[in-house]
Amino acid sequence: MTPILEVQGFTAGYGGRDVLASVSIELFEHEVLGIIGPAGSGKTTFLRSLNRMNDLDPRFHAYGTIRYRGIDLYRDPVDVAVLRRKLGMVFAVPVPLPGSIWQNLVFGPELNGRTAALDERAERSLRAAYLWDEVKDRLHSSAFALSGGQQQRLCLARTLMLEPEVLLLDEPCSGLDPISTAKIEEALAALKAQLTVVLVTNNVLQSSRVADRTAFFLTGKLVEVGTTRQLFVNPREQMTAEYISGRFG
Amino acid sequence: MTRWIRFVAAAFTGLTGLCCAAILAMVVIILGDILVHGWDRLSWEFVSAEPRVGMTEGGIFPAIFGTVVLVLLMTLAVVPLGVATAVYLHEYARQDSRLVHLVRLALQNLAGVPAIVFGLFGLGFFIQFAGEGIDKVFFGGKLAFGQPCLLWAALTLAVLTLPTVVVATEEALRAVPKSYREAAYAMGATRWQVVRRVVLPQSIGGMLTGAILAVSRGAGEVAPILFTGAAYYLPYLPKKLNDQFMELGYHIYVLTTQSPDVEATKPILYATVLVLLMVTFGLNFAAILVRSRIRRRLRQT
Repeated sequence: MTPILEVQGFTAGYGGRDVLASVSIELFEHEVLGIIGPAGSGKTTFLRSLNRMNDLDPRFHAYGTIRYRGIDLYRDPVDVAVLRRKLGMVFAVPVPLPGSIWQNLVFGPELNGRTAALDERAERSLRAAYLWDEVKDRLHSSAFALSGGQQQRLCLARTLMLEPEVLLLDEPCSGLDPISTAKIEEALAALKAQLTVVLVTNNVLQSSRVADRTAFFLTGKLVEVGTTRQLFVNPREQMTAEYISGRFG
Repeated sequence: MTRWIRFVAAAFTGLTGLCCAAILAMVVIILGDILVHGWDRLSWEFVSAEPRVGMTEGGIFPAIFGTVVLVLLMTLAVVPLGVATAVYLHEYARQDSRLVHLVRLALQNLAGVPAIVFGLFGLGFFIQFAGEGIDKVFFGGKLAFGQPCLLWAALTLAVLTLPTVVVATEEALRAVPKSYREAAYAMGATRWQVVRRVVLPQSIGGMLTGAILAVSRGAGEVAPILFTGAAYYLPYLPKKLNDQFMELGYHIYVLTTQSPDVEATKPILYATVLVLLMVTFGLNFAAILVRSRIRRRLRQT
């Protein structure tokens, strides 16, 4: 099976300081990859390298290769706007844009003029994010009136409007209540049929619940990656065992 | 010891309060003096008629009209230019680049240049260079724009108020959360789309604040328009961009220093000052109204 994303010897950081040290990992279609690790281990930098969001920081530097469907993201000519639609991202803090729920949903499609059948796509995205029933009667009210958990699911739905092939989630449940967290996890489990998910999480248990494979990062290095079952039941590295049992982090 | 500390605290509170009171008193005295002396001379005729009998009788309508048109033209020129400059500086240029430093330095210096120098600049650049150039190229050397007029006075004022608009706009751009931009970029927005759809709508209030400040500053300046367009006396209104015009601030200067009969024009002078203040407040108020309406509309959606 050919991987959809192929990372080889990827080193990156900001202002001359490396945050990631020679990371190599492959991602396959229709899997959920969980990324765990303590704060400062480079998880977020790794995630933001995949859709080149790090480009926004002028001090960012990167070596090594990331291939997406064979395209070298840092050497081949890449339209980052197109790339970021294919690899949709949801942030740790829900960021609805000022405006209504509907305006948030159509923001992405309007950017590239793909505005056919918006109603159906909006409903489908909201259903996939487990939000439809809660907002279907008030699509034109302000997105800020939603609860934090609803806002995050709106951000997920908004990203799904782009019809991405990969979903990059940066600790999407870090500030959410258990019910909203459960809904997002359910949504991810169902979305796996259509796309590939990379889930960075501070919550080790979340990775054990949702991820097919889990990768453990520590101080910018990929310590180990394996099926979630193997990594949690029978970790190869001492550090992994200590981290998942909560002895540090 | 505690007594001493308490005394110092009380004295300091008193001192700061006194400073506030002094400022308030100055405003009240200035406005009160103008109101008391100017109110009686104020009438419908005064604001609607042209000056007569060596400006000792009649009204000041041409000056009111000229001031309003001048300030509106200045706003039309300075807001797009200032906003575009601020957007480039804040959204496009690399923050550590030499060009950005240079432009910022230039703006700061521009803000510190005396108003009369802007007047001379306007005379030299707009009238003698741009205006006479236009005459040569488009009017076959016939005098059209190579003279003091409404257009050049408005542009001179625009240059004067440019730093105000740029600084206010940059302030507003800086206030747009980084997370909004990131969210838009993550949905595949290009830089222009981020600016157009997220940053500009969010900072429109701050831009209008810049416009309001520019109006306040521009409406009160006389020095920049002395050589660039304001007329000593014109019984008619400007009809074209290259007509001269009367202006309230300049008219006050004229009444104070050039009048053949200073005593006779004193009530007129006071009333003119009162009208200038009212026009300035009025223009400000209009801009504030526009801003609050736009803000309300933004909040509704």
